[in-house]
Order: sequence, then C-alpha cells, then structure tokens
Amino acid sequence: MAKGNTAADPRVGGRLDALAPWALVVGALLATAGFVVNFTVAPLVNGAAVSEPALIGDVLVGNKLLLSQKIFYWHMPVAIASFAALVFTAYYSVRFLMTKRSCYDVRAKTATEIALVFVICTMVTGEMWTRFEWGVWWTWEPRLTTYFILMLMIFGYFILRNAVEDAERRAVYASVFGILVFVDVPICFLITRLIPSSVHPVIFRTDSGLSPEMMAPLMLSLVGFALVAFGLYRLRLRVQLMEDSLSRIQDKLED
Amino acid sequence: MDPILAEIYSTVLDAAPFVIAAYALLFLVLCGYVAYIMTKLKRTEKKLAALEEHLDESK
Amino acid sequence: MRPAMERPSAWAHYKALVRKDVAQELHTKDMLTSMGLYALLVLVVYGAALAQAGSELDILQMAGGLLWAVVLFTSLLGLNRSFAHEKEQGCLEGILLVPMDRSVIFLAKATANLVFLSAVIAVTVPLFFFFFLSSAGAAPSWPLMIAVLAVGAVGIAGVGTMLSTITMNARGKDVMLAVLFIPLMFPLLWSCVSATTAVMCGAEGYMDTFVTSMALAGGYDVVMILVSWVLYDFVVSS
Repeated sequence: MAKGNTAADPRVGGRLDALAPWALVVGALLATAGFVVNFTVAPLVNGAAVSEPALIGDVLVGNKLLLSQKIFYWHMPVAIASFAALVFTAYYSVRFLMTKRSCYDVRAKTATEIALVFVICTMVTGEMWTRFEWGVWWTWEPRLTTYFILMLMIFGYFILRNAVEDAERRAVYASVFGILVFVDVPICFLITRLIPSSVHPVIFRTDSGLSPEMMAPLMLSLVGFALVAFGLYRLRLRVQLMEDSLSRIQDKLED
Repeated sequence: MDPILAEIYSTVLDAAPFVIAAYALLFLVLCGYVAYIMTKLKRTEKKLAALEEHLDESK
Repeated sequence: MRPAMERPSAWAHYKALVRKDVAQELHTKDMLTSMGLYALLVLVVYGAALAQAGSELDILQMAGGLLWAVVLFTSLLGLNRSFAHEKEQGCLEGILLVPMDRSVIFLAKATANLVFLSAVIAVTVPLFFFFFLSSAGAAPSWPLMIAVLAVGAVGIAGVGTMLSTITMNARGKDVMLAVLFIPLMFPLLWSCVSATTAVMCGAEGYMDTFVTSMALAGGYDVVMILVSWVLYDFVVSS
C-alpha cells in the first residue's frame, strides 16, 4: 500500500531547500547574536540575599548576582525547538496514516531525529545548571523527569523503527507511536506540575517577568535556533532521500 | 576588594565553568549532528560513485 | 420475514471476542498462572531487597511505589503473551477476515487483558498487605486504593493492548514492549503511585492529592484510550 516516490510527492530541491542553507547561516548568526547580547547587555539576575545590603554606585544591591542563569538563554530556545520538531513529527505521522505515502514517513522520521538532537542539547545545558545550582547531577525533579521520559520515548521510537523489518509496517507503527508520544508530552508536563513532589522543593530562581534587556537575547536565540532546526531538518531530509533513491536504483539494477 | 562586592559576586566565578561547559556542550552536540549528516552524505556519494563505475563496466 | 443471515451487531462481535479469550484462558490457564507466579516472585524479591532495611524504615511511604512496580512488571509479562496465541495459531488473520469495525477488536482485547490483570491484582494486593504491611498497617482510608487500582488497570490494559499489537511483529518483542510501554506509562504510574501513597498514609490533606492524582490518571486513561482506539485500525490491519 505504501507507494514509492511519485510525481505528486512534495519536491526536494525546491524553494524550501534553496532556503535551508540560508536558514542555517542566519539562524547561527542570530543565535550567536543572542549569545553576545546575553553576555553584554542582559543583566545578571538576583539570587540569594546578601548579609548586608549595600549602596554600590547609586543602586542599592541586596542580592547575590547569578551567572548560572545565563545558561537559560540558550536552554529555553533549544527546548522550544525540540517541541516544534515533535509537532512536525505528529503532523507528518498523521499525514502518513491518511495517505500511506512513504514520503511523509521519511519526514516524520527526520523531524524526530531533529527533536532528539535538540532534546539532548536541552538535557546537557539543563544538567549543567542543575549541577551548579542544586549541587547534584541528577534529581527526580518534575521538569527533569518529564524531559528524561520524553528522551526515552524518542529512543523508543528509533528502537521500534529498527526492530520492524517490513518497510510499510515500520512506517505505520512508527507513525502511531509518534502520535502517542506527542499526546503523552503535554500530559507528562501537566502531571508533574500539578502533583507536588514533597522530596525535592522546586527552586526556580528565575522569575518569569523578564526585562526587555533579557527578552532581546532570548528572542534572538529563539528565532536563531528555530532557523537552525529547520536548516538541519532540510539538510538531513535531503541526504536521507538521496540515500533512499540510491538504494532503490541499486535494487532495480540487481533485478 | 570590598567584602560586600565580593559577596555579591561570590557565585559568579564558581558558576563560570558550568556556564562555559553548557554552551560548549550544546555547540558540540550540534556539531556532532552536522558531522553525522556529513558522514551519511559522504557514504551516499561513495556508493553513488561505485554504482556509476559498476554501470560503466557492465556496458 | 427476517433475512436468514442478519449481520451481527458490533456488541455481538465484542462479546464473542471477549468470550473467546476468556474461555481460552480458562482452558489453558497459561497467562493467569504465569502472571500470578511472577507477581509472587517479585514480592519475594522485595522481601530480600527490604530485609536489611531495619525496622525504622517507613514502609508505608514506599508501599504505593512498590505495589505499582509489581503491577506494572506483571502486566508487562501478561501483555507480551496476550497476542501469542493469536499469532501462533493464525487466529488474528481469521478475526480480520470478519467484516467488522477494527476498534471492536481493540476494545475486546483490552477488556480481556483488563480481566486477567484484575484477577492477578486481586491476588497480589492482599498478598502484598500480608507480607509487608501486617505490622505497620495502612491508614483507614486505604480502601480508596481500589479505585486507584481500577483506573490504573484500565490505562495499562488499554495502552498495553495497543503497544503489544505493535510489538507483536517486531524483533525482540519482549524488550521492545518494555521500551515503549514504560515511558508511555510514566504519567499514569506517577499519578497512581501518588494517589496510592496518599490514601495509604492518610496524612492530613491527603484527599487533595488523591483527587488531583485521580483526575490526572483518569484524564490520561480517557485521552490515551481514545487515541489508541482511533489508531488501532492502522496498526492491526497493516
């Protein structure tokens, strides 16, 4: 039932692919700009109170300043990018189940791969922050846990793909599992927010009200990483399609 | 240095390695992925070249 | 005059399929014995694991988690086997030839799995109380646990049926099921453990935790079973 490539398939090498390298370059530049602005313009956030508030210059300073919060300016954009990639996985999975055309399956797989890369990026940056602020490498803190579970589910997706021989079956199963993962993600996030864990108090020292100086690097990085994710996705997709068509030609020649 | 200033900035120096590590690791992961795509591409190109050669021979 | 061959309703299909599974199980007693024995053995392992913990360990705080670990692993064993008969004897192909809604197959299979799982839970939970809580004793609110077990079992049976259909045709299916099942089950497991611990300890304000956890577990059940129900057609007929 799964049809091979036909003329009606979305084209590769079209306008989107012409944009992809530019997206990569512009994205990288924006992320770098975000990085620079982050360390030059954005102020340090306040942490724990100092023993005695003091007047420095003309400002009364009563808190320690935290450098560790700087991690956040790239941590959140990559996390958002990973979610966006998962949205595309679900979208292409649904499209595949509706049309049974293998081109959508390839796209769903590629999007999940991008999601995995960005999830790992989020995990390592978050891990560094956790290690410094909480002093532990791992704690079963709600956000950490849900993200870890998400990573395991994406691993499961690829293990499943490797474990099914038949190409059409693999595509169907992977699509269904991709949709289930996507449904599970918001549930995972809800669950750990709503049920308080008594063991580990949640100490988030960054308050959500960000000043404009802090918003600027965040937004730059956000757009930057979205573009990087898109560029990588198109690049990976192109390579994958090339590999697929090559193996199809080889099969045809062997007949 | 002023003791109060020292207290205000007390965590900054300790945090620096972790901040640097976080950015470096993120960069490394992305570079690793690009390298992975590139190896895939190179392998495909090699296969393509081999196929072309094979076709030329069989003609 | 009624036509000689009336098309049976979906409900009739459903009943027939559930009856088939239950009758087969009653005949072979394959799944129930293996699941029951496995649950008992896990409890024995707990005995060894907790042997050195000493008397000052607050077993009540851990009891909910330990109990759900037995339930989860036992259900994993049962789900792995739930399609074994169908596959070995080519029964599934026969079922698929019948012109009926595929989601009926899902509901029937999930119901059968739920029945077996409930039977095993009904034996395991008293045994768990007997082995580990005979001295400590749970809080008077413990009967609420039955509701938690019911909601949890429904979720496990529903999602598990879906996933075991997927892994039936995969290589290394036993491990595969665990790899897919445990992360996907995580929200349910988390909220069920939270609700169970709340009613077992019966600390002040336990009702709030219980209600939130149960709402989340129930929401998970509804959403996941609906999605599985819709998607089952694709999985089973591919």
